[in-house]
Amino acid sequence: MRRILMTITLMSLLLAGTALAKEKVYGKGVSEGEFTKISTILADPDTYAGKVVRIEGTAVGVCAHRGCWVTLASDKEEETMRVKVKDGVIVFPKEVIGEQVQVEGIFVVNKSEQKCDSTKKGEPEIKCTTILQVSGTGAVVNWK
Amino acid sequence: MSAFRKVCRWLHRELGFFAVGLTLVYAISGIAVNHIHHWDPNHTAYTETWSIEPPGVGETDVLAPLVLERLALDEPVKDTWRAGRELFQVFVDDGTIDVNLATGEVTRVGHAKRPVFFDMNFMHLNKGRAPWTGIADAFAGVMIVLAITGIFLVKGRRGLAGRGGVLMGLGIVLPLAYAIVQRFTQP
Repeated sequence: MRRILMTITLMSLLLAGTALAKEKVYGKGVSEGEFTKISTILADPDTYAGKVVRIEGTAVGVCAHRGCWVTLASDKEEETMRVKVKDGVIVFPKEVIGEQVQVEGIFVVNKSEQKCDSTKKGEPEIKCTTILQVSGTGAVVNWK
Repeated sequence: MSAFRKVCRWLHRELGFFAVGLTLVYAISGIAVNHIHHWDPNHTAYTETWSIEPPGVGETDVLAPLVLERLALDEPVKDTWRAGRELFQVFVDDGTIDVNLATGEVTRVGHAKRPVFFDMNFMHLNKGRAPWTGIADAFAGVMIVLAITGIFLVKGRRGLAGRGGVLMGLGIVLPLAYAIVQRFTQP
């Protein structure tokens, strides 16, 4: 009985230690290397399209219920970068807003040109949009 | 009673008691997260609005300390962000404070961890990863043992050879039928 209690106590301490960790890795994490400024990517999206990028910034938005995306503030005011992750693979908690987040993933340029072409005469014009986002494979959050 | 059935009863009884807690956690949390489109099973939300003297839409370096001074928060600020020409955001532990720099209107959208549900969902969805993965795997193993030993608890008309067998068959056929229908009807 004493052994069982000892084991349970040790496991609880291990779990508590993990829960208190300040730096938390999500998904595959972020590999070593330089970070690209979000403003640099947004200024020249075609150069980075389809390439692996490492970015960092304050989380200013997060998917409300599922945690399947997070929006990072750029180094430039009023600019943000959305990071989309696979549902369930990485779940960003609601509390991530305001925290410093590092992300690694593939930069994706999605142009919704089909919608523009399909606009019929007489119908209100559909604005062509280009969605720029990082398809995240891993992240590191430095909890304050 | 055969020795095999005795072992099954012992295993089912002991592990059954042991598994009560986590079974309830997984079952209740399962219902909660099944309806994630209808509610936030992890948090409760609140919104507060008030006004401060409008700080104006000047340079952020000058505005940021002014906004914080006028908000007079009695809690730590995680970070701030100039989201737009007229929108300044302050991030605190439980949410975001939006300040309209031109009008001085302040909207605070906050959230609190839903009691009990937050922790149950945390375990169920294995958000803690590493150590909990092992515990969840072990629990799954216990559930398998409970399911298998449960088959052999009773013999005769109420057991596998009678009503028990029919119920067990239904329990297997229903999800299997659903899976087959899904496979051929979903793109």
